[in-house]
Amino acid sequence: MREVFLPTTLEELWSILDKEPEAAIYAGGTDLLVKLRSTQIKPPCLVCLERIDSLRGVRDDTEEVWIGAATTHSRILEHPVISQRFPVLAKGISVLGSPPIRHMGTIGGNIVTASPAGDTLPALYVLSAKVEIRSKDQSRRVKLADFILGPGSVDLRRYEILTGVWLQKSPEWGIQHYEKIGLRKSQACAVASMAVVMETSNAGNIERAKLAWGSVGPTVVTSREVEEALVGQSLSQRTLKSVSHLLEKAVSPIDDVRASAEYRRLVAAALVQRLVRYRDFRDPALDRAQPC
Amino acid sequence: MGNQDHQIGPVNIHKFPPAYNETLSVGISLVRVDAHEKVTGKTVYAADYYGKNMLWAGVKRAGIPHARMKAIHTDRAGRVPGVFCILTHKNVAGTNRQGVIRKDQPVLVDDKVRHCGDAVALVLAETKTALRESIDLISLDLEPLPSVINPEHALEQGSPLVHEDNADGNVLLKGDLKIGAGSIAEQECDVIMEACFETQRQEHAYLETEAGWARMEEDGKLVIVCSTQTPFRDRMEVAEALDQEPSRVRIIAPYSGGAFGGKDGVTVQSLLGLAALNSGGRPVKMWWDREESFLSGTKRHPARMYYRLGARADGSLHFLSVRLYFDTGPYDHLGGVVLTLALEHAGGPYRIPNAVLKGWAVYTNNPVSGAFRGFGVPQVTAAMEQMMDMLADKLGMDPLELRFKNAVRRGDRNCVGKTLDASTGLMDCLEALSKHSLWEEREAWKCAAGPFKRRGVGMAAVMQASGYGPVVPDVANAKVELTTDGKVRVYCGVVDMGQGNASTNLQIAGSILGQEAGQMEIVLPDTDLTLPSGSASASRCTYTFANALIGAAETLKQRVLQRAADMFMVRDIEELTLFPGGVKHLVSGRELSLGALARFLNDSERVATYRFRAPVAKDSVTSDDGLKLHGLPHRLFSYGAHLAFVEIDELTGKIDVKRYLAVSDCGKVMNPQIYEQQIHGGISNGLGYALSEDFKVHEAKVHTPDFTTYVLPTAADMPDMDSVAVEIYEPTGPFGLKGVGEIATNGPLPAVANAVSDASGVRLLRFPLTPERVLKAIRDQEG
Amino acid sequence: MDILREDLLLTGTKESCGAGDCGACTILVDGESRLSCLMLAAQMQGRDVTTIEGLAEGENLHAVQEAFVQHGAIQCGFCIPGMVLAAVDFLNRNPNPTRTEIREGLAGNLCRCTGYQKIVDAVEAAAARIRQEARL
Repeated sequence: MREVFLPTTLEELWSILDKEPEAAIYAGGTDLLVKLRSTQIKPPCLVCLERIDSLRGVRDDTEEVWIGAATTHSRILEHPVISQRFPVLAKGISVLGSPPIRHMGTIGGNIVTASPAGDTLPALYVLSAKVEIRSKDQSRRVKLADFILGPGSVDLRRYEILTGVWLQKSPEWGIQHYEKIGLRKSQACAVASMAVVMETSNAGNIERAKLAWGSVGPTVVTSREVEEALVGQSLSQRTLKSVSHLLEKAVSPIDDVRASAEYRRLVAAALVQRLVRYRDFRDPALDRAQPC
Repeated sequence: MGNQDHQIGPVNIHKFPPAYNETLSVGISLVRVDAHEKVTGKTVYAADYYGKNMLWAGVKRAGIPHARMKAIHTDRAGRVPGVFCILTHKNVAGTNRQGVIRKDQPVLVDDKVRHCGDAVALVLAETKTALRESIDLISLDLEPLPSVINPEHALEQGSPLVHEDNADGNVLLKGDLKIGAGSIAEQECDVIMEACFETQRQEHAYLETEAGWARMEEDGKLVIVCSTQTPFRDRMEVAEALDQEPSRVRIIAPYSGGAFGGKDGVTVQSLLGLAALNSGGRPVKMWWDREESFLSGTKRHPARMYYRLGARADGSLHFLSVRLYFDTGPYDHLGGVVLTLALEHAGGPYRIPNAVLKGWAVYTNNPVSGAFRGFGVPQVTAAMEQMMDMLADKLGMDPLELRFKNAVRRGDRNCVGKTLDASTGLMDCLEALSKHSLWEEREAWKCAAGPFKRRGVGMAAVMQASGYGPVVPDVANAKVELTTDGKVRVYCGVVDMGQGNASTNLQIAGSILGQEAGQMEIVLPDTDLTLPSGSASASRCTYTFANALIGAAETLKQRVLQRAADMFMVRDIEELTLFPGGVKHLVSGRELSLGALARFLNDSERVATYRFRAPVAKDSVTSDDGLKLHGLPHRLFSYGAHLAFVEIDELTGKIDVKRYLAVSDCGKVMNPQIYEQQIHGGISNGLGYALSEDFKVHEAKVHTPDFTTYVLPTAADMPDMDSVAVEIYEPTGPFGLKGVGEIATNGPLPAVANAVSDASGVRLLRFPLTPERVLKAIRDQEG
Repeated sequence: MDILREDLLLTGTKESCGAGDCGACTILVDGESRLSCLMLAAQMQGRDVTTIEGLAEGENLHAVQEAFVQHGAIQCGFCIPGMVLAAVDFLNRNPNPTRTEIREGLAGNLCRCTGYQKIVDAVEAAAARIRQEARL
């Protein structure tokens, strides 16, 4: 019988990790406990972070917003600053898993699992999220894009845990869009996904834009070429189609049981065309998520 | 491991909840008898049996698809702490062979491994952890053989053989039917359409996986509780495979957590029996986890179907040629029966005077194919209903008009030449569809598609035979008892796997005997207590069992009234009536409670039994005895007409089914709520089959081992469904009813495919209709 | 889940996939729907856990249970304990849902028998009854 630790403070956590450096750490368990069942991993013991208050919560700090790594997805959706200020993240979370999964899974878990299909990741990338990593004596803030090294691999060293995610409230993005393609509408591993934040002028020209795609590469894909090609152009079908060839070069999808690389390449470019819906009315409420 | 001992017996009785005392009448939506206990978590399924001193039983599976068995090494595995024993084929005393028609499946492999999920060794252990550890440590000496993975190649000379002792190579069953003038008629056609369709494997995905519990009782009786559709047949199979006397084997079938055909035939039964024979009297439990169920349970036959359909210029069908290749996996498991039913339905519910229908159920080393709701009919309907739309398009006819033109009516001969002498309501279904508001609004609906969306509407006409065909007896034996408490106890012979027949049976018996819900009790299938009544399959459960039950209830009624008449010294029993709880003499007003009456009866008088055998076809359509045995032809068909409203996303290829209409002729409706439950469930299985469910096998290995890779529809994926019942009275059916269990499964795939074609001009012939397939087809068409 | 089923003999909570994909094992933990197959026993300490056996109050079914019974939302029943508890949590969060929202709210609970329609009907009806009773 494996021992399970449930520390209530970070101090307790550090002392447990001191004694059990090989412990597997989890918060919600929706990824780790599945791996445990299939004996993909066989850790000597487990540490559950769900009771450490300082790792949970959403804090609106005027300039920036902090989300505790062990905050469940449903709690994140309940906080107004998320749905009002960062609807792209809210949408990504709202289509992650299923309602009970969202009551258990955490944003920290989604990040550390670093699946190429992680539902929070494209939104966090376009929001230029930073992650906070701590060990007993140190802490550091790293860009998420630098933290995720490869599929399933993050820059987390021994005795370190992810403690929080930082989002900047400015610049503001008037258009925030997220679309996930799955083989069904819920509880689906993304076949391809796209997060976009954009600001357009009154004349309908793209002033700035950030785009990120999931499930079309070993990690989230971003493309400076696509973003630069869009800036200054009008938000029109022609503009959006014109960047397809750039995007098809930027992505590196694989064939797997859910879809072929060819399909993923096609839809990653096709999804961009959906943005034309924002041309005449900038209404992020179109994609506003409900707390669940 | 739990501290309760499961009491087996005397009787596990189910009743309506105490507050529920409705009058039981046929034709109304009574609340089901099992609803209350299921919604409060009180129902004990086979998977819920535990017990003091219980051992877990689990199977070592082969892991490779085709190999000669050289040796099984269990020493290391046997030394895992907590392991009780490990059994192999050497411990199987009987034939070690199971199967319904052909007994070709071992309980535990002895000569050859024939699929990755083949059972090689059985471990008994104190805990699930010890069980798993032990199974992992069993090693096998296998000499790999070349695998048979493609049915058409498997038929070629020189193909490796799955069963060397099979006289017909890799053919389990083949059919070759010539109707009318056969292929000469092709020349008489004005237009011929030709296409090749490929349908995929589908997984039943019942929420309760294969599960059971067993124990040798002190009196030497082997008791097995399991989730099954066939308790009586199971008893025979277990007895034969393990060399037990059938009367010393008792199979108990509680409410099953879903079956859909996947539990039609042996799953855990013989393994549990073997375990219980070797457990030193301790109870044993086996419960396949989801991955094992995926690997080792049966699947819907994947099929490749070559169709040529010819018609006259006026749209009348004139000729059909089909070649069907059904991959049946390594064991019979009803594969021949599936093929035969597919052949029978290959031409759909139409008059086609000339046909050449050929089919093969082929042995391969792929996962085992078996019974699954529809049973061969979803596959051929997928093909035929698309052929009809393609033909309509070619002729410039409306698809509904083409169906009207060719739809069978009572008295017609169907496409295998069977004269339809039973109720045949297809025209009524088509008419009801054509008058439905959804049909009338379809064009307006299509025009309202939003940006990047294309909308289409597609139809399908469906039929489904019920019963076992002309040779295998479709028999049920019902038993009804007046208990000494004055309750009416129905002994249900057919398993309730969710279709609610426990409830309809009480509704029928209660209605005939004039009793309310509070007076009724039901005993679920138990080979010691209930009577043999065939399988819960083939859309025959209610039709056949209810007919038997009507007989038993009427017999009991007569007996009760006669005895009451004698006691009241009344000559004419027509002066007496049953009322809830008693018998009343209408003339004098005297009453007698059923309890009091029952106590005057001898035990043997309180029980009435009745046997019913379903009528079968008197006309023959083939001289092939094999096909006759396997069911050709059937006599009774249900019919339907379906309509799918579909929206395609041009950017992703994703299909969203927005609405679905099913109009059905399943005779008179006994309980509208239960009828609708069956239609809804069938549609949802069919929509999963159409859109997302693809059980992928490559080189005989499973690539979709669980629910993350095998995609079932969630509540968010299913549309609102409209069900309309066209109630045509079937004279041979109980209260005019026909089977409703399977027919709705056949419509969705072709209806959706036809709708996709309507929306986009693209015709897809391979399934399921994933976004990838759809997008590629649309892009190919544009580019 | 093993603790619930094997030690406490509360077999109402069902195992169907063991990996968080089907929702059959759904229970309420501090009122929130969670998947018991992905929870370790230690995580239950100090928490208020409700399984299906604890939902009804004596003979009085919860409004959701009653609606499921009346609307024919139950066929084989194996998904029902999880489905009912998921619905109870859902209605606590969204007392006046549309049918689409109900479908999304229950999308973590698979059912193979019903096609979900009568389940949605039942939840809709239960929501109406709960709102009405709250007004009284």
